[in-house]
Amino acid sequence: MVETGILRSNKFFTLKKMQAYFFVLPGIIILLVLLVYPLIQVMVLSFFQGNLLEREFIGLSNYIQLFSDPVFWKALLQTSYFTINSVIFHFLIGLSLALILNQHINSNIRSLFRGFLIIPWLLAPTVAAMIWILIYNPFGMLNGLLTSFNLLSGRGQSINWIGNPNLSLLSVTVVNIWRGYPFTMVMLLAALQGIPDELYEAARIDGASPIKSFFYITIPALKGTMFTVGLLDIIWTFRHFDIIFAMTGGGPMNSSEVMTTHIYNLAFRSLKWGYAAAEAVIMFLVMLIFSTFYIRNLKKGETGND
Amino acid sequence: MIKSSYRVQRKISRLTLYAVLLSFGIVLLLPVAWMVTVSFRPNVEVLKIPPTWIPEKFTFDSYKKVLTNLRYLRCFWNSYFVSLTVTLLALFFGSLSGYGLARFNFRGKRALILFLLATQTFPLVLLSLPYFQVVVKLGLYDNLLSLILVYLSFCLPFSILMLRNYFQELPIELEEAAMVDGCTRLGALWRVTIRISFPAMVGTGLYTFLLAWNEFLFAMIVVESWSNRVLTIAIYSLLSEFVTDWTTMMSFSALASLPIIIAFIFLQKYVIRGMTMGAIK
Repeated sequence: MVETGILRSNKFFTLKKMQAYFFVLPGIIILLVLLVYPLIQVMVLSFFQGNLLEREFIGLSNYIQLFSDPVFWKALLQTSYFTINSVIFHFLIGLSLALILNQHINSNIRSLFRGFLIIPWLLAPTVAAMIWILIYNPFGMLNGLLTSFNLLSGRGQSINWIGNPNLSLLSVTVVNIWRGYPFTMVMLLAALQGIPDELYEAARIDGASPIKSFFYITIPALKGTMFTVGLLDIIWTFRHFDIIFAMTGGGPMNSSEVMTTHIYNLAFRSLKWGYAAAEAVIMFLVMLIFSTFYIRNLKKGETGND
Repeated sequence: MIKSSYRVQRKISRLTLYAVLLSFGIVLLLPVAWMVTVSFRPNVEVLKIPPTWIPEKFTFDSYKKVLTNLRYLRCFWNSYFVSLTVTLLALFFGSLSGYGLARFNFRGKRALILFLLATQTFPLVLLSLPYFQVVVKLGLYDNLLSLILVYLSFCLPFSILMLRNYFQELPIELEEAAMVDGCTRLGALWRVTIRISFPAMVGTGLYTFLLAWNEFLFAMIVVESWSNRVLTIAIYSLLSEFVTDWTTMMSFSALASLPIIIAFIFLQKYVIRGMTMGAIK
């Protein structure tokens, strides 16, 4: 009974505030140690040269060197290619599937398909990578399939999807498209199911064609979700590491190198810690732009709902 | 007449719909099906042009190989151990902080929420450099404890956000009633709020588990010996160790994916509800 008084009255304002910190602080302290401290560390590291044991302050040299490094620019360009194509195709596939699943179909069939179509997203990126390495093998399923359709003449004409520098980036992008579409599908389907049927009925009575109601009802209703999902997808794809690293390691000849694999290779293979840290900081700054958009958009949505 | 032709038309359009859906399904799930059928073949049958879709000889050899190898089984155990521990820690600290953010107003709350949202966009490779240094300095290299700590860095913010969103939707009156009946606030949280938050706990927990289970970069950086490897690393090492043993690789992959797939198919409504709340709202 006394407790309720504390909750509601302003006299015990400070006590209530103390309670808030009691709940919030444990988690926050963990995050400060696990996120903020390392972030500061990596920024400091980017001004140094050396290994884990000894290091030397070199100011902005790492950054200057980085900007004249062709591999860095190549990685940045390839990261953009990987991201733009992945996100576009996630949308094309995800939206089509969401629209189909949102039709008036048997609800058991709907959940069955939704359940199965989500599987690629559940697979560990390494597992997806291994499956596709096998599929992309010169004697693997994909070349076999192309041969069956007479697109390849089999013997001696097999395509090396991963080993060919002209194809490696495309090949890993396809895998990422395949693994990532379910997220877009699930999110857009959830948003579609939130659109009230009455809107469509009213539009039909007013004589609107299905195409018209798609552009005047569906798309506006999905806009918010599409924006957020798109931004999240851009962010997640831009920082992606696992599939590319497991499949190609960034090669051959940097042909599938993205920023994350470049940072990893610099730090853990070439042992250029400061240099890698400088690229990581740049990547962080680029992503900060995206996350600002993401957060601003979310905040807008939140106040809009209230 | 008009009515029946309308019905026929609808039936045809529905059949087309199913046909389109089915062809999408076949194309998109072909790689998964390929993993499964390869895992049941002898190795000589794997790389063939043209491919045989159904194994000519059906065998469980590769599964036997994985399930009787203690070194591999150890990796399954490690993955379960790490992912479950991370999930439980994330749920525990996540419900405390999530509850605090949902129920109280305090200085810095807005900044804190912005920070939590921003963590969802951190590039993990950025953290891999300082983590490696710290883990080595603390003597936690090649130790599962360091994996658990590192995974908390991306699982905890997510579960705080998701649980906060859920708690916000719960009526405060239930807790107040419990407190009137003599519960402390913590008691009310435990006895009432957590109990009725079962769907949120399942959803958040399952997604956190998935994040930890599938993680690759840190597992590669901070763990070295086979006895401490988790599944993602074990699978990756199989690639370099036995390049040609594809059936073992695929049965290993199938065994690593199956529990997650089953859990999601049965519990997907909780996860999807949580995800849409966590990411969109």
